[in-house]
Amino acid sequence: MLEEALEHLVRGIVDHPDEVSVTDRNGRRGRTLEVRVHPEDLGKVIGRAGRTAKALRTVIGALGPGRGVRVDFLDVDER
Amino acid sequence: MTESPEDQPTTENAAGTEHIVEPVEPVESTESAAPGRSRSPGSVPDLEKESEIAADYLEDLLDIADLDGDIDMDVERDRALVSVVGGDLDDLVGRDGVVLEALQELVRLAVLTQTGQRSRLMLDIGGYRAGRRAVLSELGRTTAETVRATGERVRLEPMSPFERKIVHDAVAAAGLTSESEGEEPQRRVVVLPA
Repeated sequence: MLEEALEHLVRGIVDHPDEVSVTDRNGRRGRTLEVRVHPEDLGKVIGRAGRTAKALRTVIGALGPGRGVRVDFLDVDER
Repeated sequence: MTESPEDQPTTENAAGTEHIVEPVEPVESTESAAPGRSRSPGSVPDLEKESEIAADYLEDLLDIADLDGDIDMDVERDRALVSVVGGDLDDLVGRDGVVLEALQELVRLAVLTQTGQRSRLMLDIGGYRAGRRAVLSELGRTTAETVRATGERVRLEPMSPFERKIVHDAVAAAGLTSESEGEEPQRRVVVLPA
């Protein structure tokens, strides 16, 4: 659900919604949702002074389980 | 004194008025159904369209998160007001409304993305803003009384621009003036003696 919610929230605020993908990773540092967007949209999802990224993390944090879920933002070309 | 537009006192009656949600009159039934990016800079914002974009964005989120809630649309002081009502929406409001503020930010960005115009749309969830409005109006009114009685300025706790505006309005309605000081997020209202 969190993955889908995050994908929806990001798709609504970018110029290339079809290039948004979210991967759910469970690693040593807990759960991470990795958001990939078109390179031109990376600035949009991060926002001025990280404001948009913070807003996305806040909403996902509220929908998610008690423990924090990390949200990372990358462009589609990053590995 | 540099205030953001939404932080300005207005002469409007700021008593803790009950907010009544009414459906928005359909203005341009065919036009507004067309996809956005059609607005020229400086044109009057299409508040109905803003509300529709916001409602779609929020409805899909509620569906995905399996949350119950209905969406009401209204226009208040030349800005679109979209309210999510019903159900258990506390999680979407968050402590001190932080989740609500975050969602409002995202909703405004969704409108900007589709219309190419910045939006001043106001989001409410579970009546949170309406409730805060009543509490803050009362705070503004009682603080004005205290300041009038003592002749001493009073600095209130830090508040968001939305909250400060309500206090400014209530102080103005009580016949005193107020200003804001400090930097966000520590910016606070100061009520001044006459």
